Amino acid sequence: MIGKKIILASTLIGVLAFGGEQFAMSDSDRAMYAEMLENNPADIMVESGNEYMEEFAGGDEGLAKFLGVSEDDLPAYIAGFPRYIKKLDMVVGLDQVLQALMAENGHKPFKLKSKDMFAMSAYAKSIANEEKINIDVNANPQMKAAYAMGDEVFNTKRGGRGLSCMSCHSPDVIGGILRTQPLPDLGSEANKAAATWPAYRMTKSSLRTLPRRFQGCMNNALLAVIPLGSPEMVALEVYVTDKAKGREIAIPGLKR
Amino acid sequence: MKRLLLLSTTLGLSLAFAADLSSSIESPNASKIIAKDLLGPAKVFTMPAGCITDDKDAIARGDFIFHNLNGKKAKGKLPPGLAKKQKVPGKTYGPQDKIPAKQYGNCVACHNIEGAKGGGNIGPDLTSYHDFFIKTGVRNNQYVYQKIADARVDNADTHMTINLTTGLFTEREICDITSYIVSIKK
Ligand code: HEC
Ligand code: HEC
Repeated sequence: MIGKKIILASTLIGVLAFGGEQFAMSDSDRAMYAEMLENNPADIMVESGNEYMEEFAGGDEGLAKFLGVSEDDLPAYIAGFPRYIKKLDMVVGLDQVLQALMAENGHKPFKLKSKDMFAMSAYAKSIANEEKINIDVNANPQMKAAYAMGDEVFNTKRGGRGLSCMSCHSPDVIGGILRTQPLPDLGSEANKAAATWPAYRMTKSSLRTLPRRFQGCMNNALLAVIPLGSPEMVALEVYVTDKAKGREIAIPGLKR
Repeated sequence: MKRLLLLSTTLGLSLAFAADLSSSIESPNASKIIAKDLLGPAKVFTMPAGCITDDKDAIARGDFIFHNLNGKKAKGKLPPGLAKKQKVPGKTYGPQDKIPAKQYGNCVACHNIEGAKGGGNIGPDLTSYHDFFIKTGVRNNQYVYQKIADARVDNADTHMTINLTTGLFTEREICDITSYIVSIKK
């Protein structure tokens, strides 16, 4: 019995490549995690995202056309978001592109923080599954500026406790334990945050995006929460996405 | 001539369309939110008179602040003199007004100490602090007070929370927390 438990735990750690997870999970949690890895509850939400794409945005074809790429090149192109999009004259996340695309198709865009947008952008990003993140933060002056802004937002101490993202995600504390939670390395193969969000968050029982996850950390650590879609938030996404450059995209992810 | 006009109106149209598209995107400005949220420069603090005490209520408050995140999540009986909600001093509250939960230290997230449940290891272990650090003269009360109030004074890049410069706690509360850490635990 004990032997079996250990095998289960080590297989899981292998799968998760997330040593230290045992701090956070009970055996029954772990069993649930194993079950969910095979059958991600977010799959069905991603599927409804696909339906929204067809209904409001002309499907994959409409997205490719909007972005000015062929359908064959679409996956690799999506793997480079956030990007500077000339016709919008902004560095934008994929969710903002979908807003513009919905508007162009004569529909009222979903709010960035809506469940429907989370589902739709999860679908759109899943088009790039198995592609490697190829964001180019030096592609143009706009991307350079966004990266620099993201760096600043990530490193600025603020809020009620005077913390920055760096306080908990800098190389010297990664792997440390913050109230039973191992601090994740956002760029590592084990976590590769930008390649695995949108993800199903078990503790929230819902599908969430990367910027929404940032808001969770801001909220927990008492940093004023900045709105989705703000240049500062997109910049933070650029900065954190660059940490996972070269990692293979696998949407939807599954997180604690 | 006619053709040119046509061209320019098409152009005008498509330009207006582009502007329209970007305006259908949510892109609120967050710079004000961040500016308001920034931290003042590192500040040196001196313990007020009578700061460190063996008053058991003060130590109980320090203990409670150390081990809890905020008044909403806190369980169990509060020590005398500590509230679950945080009123703004001088403001009057009507029955409809929502008073926000008081924030506590959640120090246990990063530090182990006597009785810690799920203590973290981002910061040093504060167990037996009196014996190991105060009695030996390695640290003194003022050092601990300053560390909790604003740890940037001796480490600009500290991962430690800033608790007095931010106004999260009062001087008295920093004294309560310090008294708890340097006290002899059972
Ligand atoms: C007080 C500590 C703390 C601060 C400050 C903090 N985080 Fe986190 N962060 C954590 C912890 C702990 C986790 C893992 C939690 C879990 O597994 O539930 C985490 C998880 C994450 C994840 C998900 C990682 C994954 O596996 O996919 C992202 C992304 C993230 N943080 C980004 C940020 C950003 C951006 C900021 C600043 C705005 C920030 N964090 C600030 C502690 C912090
Ligand atoms: C996000 C992590 C974190 C949190 C939360 C935190 N600390 Fe710390 N603390 C640290 C780190 C890291 C150090 C190491 C010294 C430094 O960088 O200044 C430290 C150092 C200290 C020290 C100095 C110990 C010594 O003798 O060197 C004391 C005392 C202390 N913390 C108390 C507290 C109290 C009280 C709270 C809550 C109000 C708290 N800490 C919350 C991370 C944290």
